[in-house]
Amino acid sequence: MTSFSITGWGLAVPEQRVTTTELASRFGVDEEWILSRCGIRERRAVGPGQSTATLAIEAGKRALESAGLTGADIAHLIVATATPEQLSPATSAFVHHGLGIAGSAHDVNAECTGFVYGLIQAAGLIALDPRPILLVGSDTHSLTTAPDDRDLGILVGDGSGAVVLEPTTDSWLMAWNLGADGARTESLKIPAGGSRLPTSEETARQGLHFSQIKGNEIYLHAVRHTVGSVRKTLEMAKLQPDDVDHIVPHQANLRIISSIIEHTGLPRERLVTNLERYGNCASASIPMALTEALDGGRICTGDVVLLAGFGAGMTWGTVLLRWGGGAS
Amino acid sequence: MAVPTLQDVTKQLETISGAENIDPDVPILTIDDIDSLDLMEWLYSFQESNPEIPADESLFEEIDETVTLRSIYDRVLATVPS
Repeated sequence: MTSFSITGWGLAVPEQRVTTTELASRFGVDEEWILSRCGIRERRAVGPGQSTATLAIEAGKRALESAGLTGADIAHLIVATATPEQLSPATSAFVHHGLGIAGSAHDVNAECTGFVYGLIQAAGLIALDPRPILLVGSDTHSLTTAPDDRDLGILVGDGSGAVVLEPTTDSWLMAWNLGADGARTESLKIPAGGSRLPTSEETARQGLHFSQIKGNEIYLHAVRHTVGSVRKTLEMAKLQPDDVDHIVPHQANLRIISSIIEHTGLPRERLVTNLERYGNCASASIPMALTEALDGGRICTGDVVLLAGFGAGMTWGTVLLRWGGGAS
Repeated sequence: MAVPTLQDVTKQLETISGAENIDPDVPILTIDDIDSLDLMEWLYSFQESNPEIPADESLFEEIDETVTLRSIYDRVLATVPS
């Protein structure tokens, strides 16, 4: 069966920086408290003229250049986002136009697990139609966070990461696991703006178009489900935690990542993280960290790379790759 | 079923949070080295080690500046199947 190879990658972040020093002053807390809570020193935030799609176009362009392709070569575009350009049409439509893509376009919203879900969708799509796919994760949660929300304000950053997938018969995909628990919709949500609670003067007055988080619940269930997902994926591949060369988790919060590392037994020194510089960029966080690891020459042919994420919903997922092929 | 003692729980929380000599009768949120994520980390570890005890995040609902580790422990005991 045709599988995928990853032949291009890229990231894009806005120029505007929001430092932990600034946020400590805004929220009236110690800088050290923020650092101990999440491990983030700086985030990026979109400015005028920037959006989820503009970042996605920029990251997508870099990934295409890196693969030596153009938009005309792409058969399918998948954009993972939870902060869409607008409610309709899909963000992928804007990115499709911006990159001059020839083929299909659709969004996937699995919140912060969106890139992992998108990668598995792409694996299925490329088996059916062995032509290049562009997969982008892009989010701008700075725009969905209330200015006075300390819990989310210290976490979120904006950014985008993209990969180009091309068909191969030498599989990269060793194992994967996806899951969801729809009973956890209250843990992290934006209540207004959809069909359940359409935007109105009242929802705007109450700030219901902003994200709401129950941080403790997210912590507990993110750790539980991600640990379970990683364990199942390793078991499926018949690998031990020490066999993993690079761990690229959703860059949510250093405390959650540390807990997942601790409970799975994955080697801490093989963790790939850029959380300190970009914050939690949601669907973009995994491809952004992967891009930096690749650009830094950290990942070599034959390495085992584990991608693991979790997000609102709740959703979670893990993908285990043999970089360069030879997975099967 | 072996139920962890209050001393066990205190030791577990000290290990997770780095807080030293936790007094189980001191309001838990007033202890400098402990935050709510430490409590969630403790709960996750407790659940993993004691799957037969259905303690969940409701242990920490309505936690305020008067709730002590001893009172949390009492809530844990209340969940233990008879």
